[in-house]
Amino acid sequence: MSNVATYSTNGGPYAIEAQDLSIYYGSFRAVKNINLRFPTHKITALIGPSGCGKSTVLRAFNRMNDLIPISRAEGVILFHGKNIYDHDVDPVEIRRRVGMVFQKPNPFPKTIYENVAWGARINGFKGSKTDMDALVEESLRDAAVWDDVKDKLNQSGLSLSGGQQQRLCIARAIATRPEIILMDEPASALDPISTLRIEELIQELKKNYTILIVTHNMQQAARASDYTAFFNMDADRAGYLVEYNQTDELFTSPKNEMTEQYITGRFG
Amino acid sequence: MENMEEVTPLPKSTSVERAPLNQLAKRPRVGEIIIEAALFIAAGISIITTIAIVIILMEEALRFFADDRVSLVSFLTETIWQPEANHFGILPLLNATLMITAISLLVAVPLGLASAIYLSEYASPRVRGILKPALEMLAGVPTVVYGYFALTFVTAILRAVLGKDLVQIYNIASAGLVVGVLITPLIASLSEDALHAVPNSLREASYGVGATKFETATKVILPAALSGVAAAMVLAVSRAFGETMIVAIAAGAGPKLTWNPFVSAEPMTGYMVRISGGDLSYQSLDYKSIYAIGLVVFVVTLILNIISQRVVARFREVYE
Amino acid sequence: MSQPPPDQPSAAPAAPATDLTTLFPQGEGIQAQIARRQRNATIWRFVFLGATSLAVIILTTLLLSIINQSFGLVAEQTNIPETQLIVNYQKSLMLEASNVALSSEDDAALAEGIAADAAGVGLLGNAYTTQNQDTLRALSIGGVAPTAETVQSGAYPLARPLLLYTTATTVADKPQIGAFLAYYLQVADEVMAEIGYFPLDEATLAQQETTLLALLGATELPTIVPAEYEGDIVIAGSSTLNQVTREVAKRFRAEGFQGAIKITSVGTGAGFAGFCAVDGGVDIVNASRTITQLELESCRANALNPVATVVGADALAVVVNAQNDFATDITLEQAGLLFSSAVNWAEVDAGWPAEAINRYIPTTDSGTMDFFVATVFAAQTLADLPYDSLVTVFQANVSAGRCRAAEAEQRFYADRFVCDTEEAFTARCEGENPTTGCTLAPRDHASLEALVQAEVIQPEVLQAWFLAESIFRRDEIVATALEEYPSADVHFRRWLTWDFITRPQSATPELAGVRTAILGSLWVVGIGLLAGFPVGVGAAIYLEEYANKRKRFNSIIQTNINNLAGVPSIIYGLLGLTVFVRVLEPITSGAIFGVGDPTTANGRTILSAGLTLALLILPVIIISSQEAIKAVPSSLREASFGLGATRWQTIWNHVIPNAIGGILTGVILAMSRIIGETAPLVVVGAATLITSDPSGPFSKFTTLPIQIYQWTARPQQTFLLIAGAAIIVLIILLFILNIFAIYLRNRYARRIG
Repeated sequence: MSNVATYSTNGGPYAIEAQDLSIYYGSFRAVKNINLRFPTHKITALIGPSGCGKSTVLRAFNRMNDLIPISRAEGVILFHGKNIYDHDVDPVEIRRRVGMVFQKPNPFPKTIYENVAWGARINGFKGSKTDMDALVEESLRDAAVWDDVKDKLNQSGLSLSGGQQQRLCIARAIATRPEIILMDEPASALDPISTLRIEELIQELKKNYTILIVTHNMQQAARASDYTAFFNMDADRAGYLVEYNQTDELFTSPKNEMTEQYITGRFG
Repeated sequence: MENMEEVTPLPKSTSVERAPLNQLAKRPRVGEIIIEAALFIAAGISIITTIAIVIILMEEALRFFADDRVSLVSFLTETIWQPEANHFGILPLLNATLMITAISLLVAVPLGLASAIYLSEYASPRVRGILKPALEMLAGVPTVVYGYFALTFVTAILRAVLGKDLVQIYNIASAGLVVGVLITPLIASLSEDALHAVPNSLREASYGVGATKFETATKVILPAALSGVAAAMVLAVSRAFGETMIVAIAAGAGPKLTWNPFVSAEPMTGYMVRISGGDLSYQSLDYKSIYAIGLVVFVVTLILNIISQRVVARFREVYE
Repeated sequence: MSQPPPDQPSAAPAAPATDLTTLFPQGEGIQAQIARRQRNATIWRFVFLGATSLAVIILTTLLLSIINQSFGLVAEQTNIPETQLIVNYQKSLMLEASNVALSSEDDAALAEGIAADAAGVGLLGNAYTTQNQDTLRALSIGGVAPTAETVQSGAYPLARPLLLYTTATTVADKPQIGAFLAYYLQVADEVMAEIGYFPLDEATLAQQETTLLALLGATELPTIVPAEYEGDIVIAGSSTLNQVTREVAKRFRAEGFQGAIKITSVGTGAGFAGFCAVDGGVDIVNASRTITQLELESCRANALNPVATVVGADALAVVVNAQNDFATDITLEQAGLLFSSAVNWAEVDAGWPAEAINRYIPTTDSGTMDFFVATVFAAQTLADLPYDSLVTVFQANVSAGRCRAAEAEQRFYADRFVCDTEEAFTARCEGENPTTGCTLAPRDHASLEALVQAEVIQPEVLQAWFLAESIFRRDEIVATALEEYPSADVHFRRWLTWDFITRPQSATPELAGVRTAILGSLWVVGIGLLAGFPVGVGAAIYLEEYANKRKRFNSIIQTNINNLAGVPSIIYGLLGLTVFVRVLEPITSGAIFGVGDPTTANGRTILSAGLTLALLILPVIIISSQEAIKAVPSSLREASFGLGATRWQTIWNHVIPNAIGGILTGVILAMSRIIGETAPLVVVGAATLITSDPSGPFSKFTTLPIQIYQWTARPQQTFLLIAGAAIIVLIILLFILNIFAIYLRNRYARRIG
């Protein structure tokens, strides 16, 4: 195992790292042999053609794949020097520290306030009502949705527009104070203007969080990310990592031919 | 509107308090484990129930057959059921049950199927919204009420129309007709579901070649939904076979092997209710006999239910 | 390709026609073909619609036929009418009171007595009051004084008709009787006024003449010449009417009647007794009240059909001594007090002196007494009688043996015996077969009332008619009923009444109610839900949220639940009988907790029944809860897990709140299923007749559907009628539940949308 100290602190260079990660659905291998390390407080984009397993990889980082009974992971994901797939690791604790934002906005059918406060509460937030109010406000401000909702905190989260709902979901994620936020095509269900605002928000968030974002939109990856990992599907339909580099480099001078074909739009 | 707003800048410091590191180890969540175990037991109770039913029926039935006065052969072949004279032939009871089931199907199949076709293919949403709940209400009436209806209304009408000499006060026909009324909504509702599940593309295809509504309904939709409809029928047979209160009230007491639907003949379930309603000793042969009969009822209905589920599963595979 | 020549048979397989289009109907053929198909379609459309409507019509018929049975005319007979019991009781109170100065059928003696007693009070006909105006004074009642006007208008509450009773047979056999009656009517007004009673108004008089014509079989009233008649006339009855009849008889004789007229003043009741008896010898009854149901029955039993002729009206007056200067006006209630429980005047009205009341009243046979009691205590029922009086009534009206048996069942008093003896009771209770009376607390007022109803009044419906018949053929039915059941009272009866709902079960259908059964249903269904709801919902949560569906065991559970849902309910009855009643008897009978019901001491209890029903609805609750849980979008679960929530936190905070509407709807539907469930409970062992309310989970049980079944299984028509009424109660209960389910479903639908 590599040097634990390298990843051990918040300030360390890498927040989380996959080593030789393969994920199976039953007997089908969905992704194979992924080796990836994600720099702290950077935005890393995962791109690739549909079906290449990039969402599967993303969901491996907070063990969301556990919810699919037939899925199984091989290899190692190191988080603070610990393999999160070890048997003694609690997936609940992982998910608390590795938050997630989903493709479609999915607020709870509760009030806006409750949407944000609930996650903190189940995770043992012990503050008073005032503290909770502050936490909710701060999270909503961080997610750049405070001004939209401050007058209707007691309305249902479902009453917001799509873009607002997604920012509410981001606020919900950051209210539990995770270290990493996984975003699974967070803007794919939104209109272009809402998309832009989410991208701006992500840029702001990277000051405090490490962000992994799956996107099918190459422009988005080029615009919004610091690093980009390109995945493709092999002949056995298993996804694998083709190339991983700083976003500028990957887009301007791809080392792999397949990457070049993909970013120039010749397949995918 | 959204695009007009400024993105609020992040506050300078979010002063995040991180949890202490290396706390990823599983915490023993005892509560979670207890809850899951409790829920598992809740789910397991259904299995225990089934096992208990099988064991109890088998055990008491075996005790029944272990008695010197009874043999499995005579149970299945003898044509007289007279416990006091040591005659234990199930045929008269079975025959009455089968006759009631047959009569009920004569009523319920045409009525239920026609209703299903009407509701699925003809009725406007408004009409459907009125008729379907009405049918469901018919299904929700307790069977003891149907029994009362059979005895005081249907029997009275049969006797008025066909004559009091021909129709006895307690008779198979009246019980069968009312059991038919009972299972009609079942057939109608389940068949309607099956017809409704047939994709619209088939209807459009049929209309596209110039078929009328009737032709579409009976020659395209009905055959396409046939297995679903068949499953409904099988389930209805099972329900009619195991129906108890209507027959206990309207079909009369005293097992009798007869083909005449207008005389009284006690069916299996009716016999079970009558015998268990009295104060009888757990050691008596009568008491054990109701378990033997119960086993027959249970096995037959179980087989019918399994067939029905299989058919439905296949139907689902085709359209879902 | 070469074409074969037309019309030439060819060995080759039939080649296609040149133009395939020609094989379709052509020209008018098209129209005809389409018309035929359209006609078919239309016909079948109506066939299908008809079938569907038929189902709805059956539902309506079912409901109507049940309503039709639950209301209608009945011919009802009682051993003693309830009102009669009250009258008898009050009368005995009045007569046995210590301050009765004089009780006599001689009104003149009564009048004299009051005249001589400053504290006297009495009941007198108007004639005696007017005749003794200087010594007596009549009180006004409720501000209304007895005058011709107030009597005719009905404003004076103690106004009553004066009647003569005879029968058509008597008139036919003895012409002198008809002549005397006709003569009586002719002179009645004059004589009434002369003696101090009130004449008939014109309309009533005309009515009486019609009755008389029917009695005489004549078309117009003959002019009576008394000299043409002979033979004896025997008249007996009311002292009130005595003077009038004597005067009429005097005139009748004066005009030449040859025969003897014998008039006795014995009281109306005694008059009827002589009249209705075989060979009683009374031709005409002087009556100061109408005939009672009981008297009518005894008359009819001897093939006598009494016919009444109203000859005048009287105002029964409450009179006091002329020197009495405080009492002028009383209410009806005060009148009741004055003659029953009050001992001194102050008890009747606080403003009056506390002087003793001395009563001057007629005897027990007097029509005056009957009329007074029936009027003053008209609103009283058995419920108004004190407990002790009910005991007395019961004791007086049943055999000593029956009374002892009733006391052995349940005692009347904790500290003394009415019919039984201390020794016999103790011996019985310490012997082999102690009766229920040894352990039960003494009867309460309600149960004693029920006992009196069942054993003394003994109502019995001899025949009942359905609602439809009762409406459309009312007159016909009433006529037939009177002929067929001369001793019965024919009236409209609603079988479904508030009384029916609140009365306990009884062996007498006329007195039976469903309270025991409703409470039993609530208990059994309550326990069924209490046990079935958590287990069912828990199982559904396990199967939907925890179970790995690919694991064989879990798929077996799922298949198994689907199969359980189709097991006939009677099989569950066998399961309950074996497991809960027999195997777990120590628990289900309560013996293990030491709280068992001593009268049952076996496992056939509410608890066993409830648990059986819980197993029965388990599959229903599981399946419907699974559907509701499945409907919760998985994105919510993901969001919750993504925040680091545990599985149970996710379920408790997101899955259950979003599925609860659907779950509750399913539970209510399950509840409405077990409320109507009968067969398994019969097998588990419902009690055949329990009249006491269930006291807990270890009581014997009955439920509403069981009650309906047991009543339906009886051959007597009356039981079928109350079964119908009970069905209506059951259906109303179900209807309320369904409405509630629909409300929940709608609320739930709004939440998700």
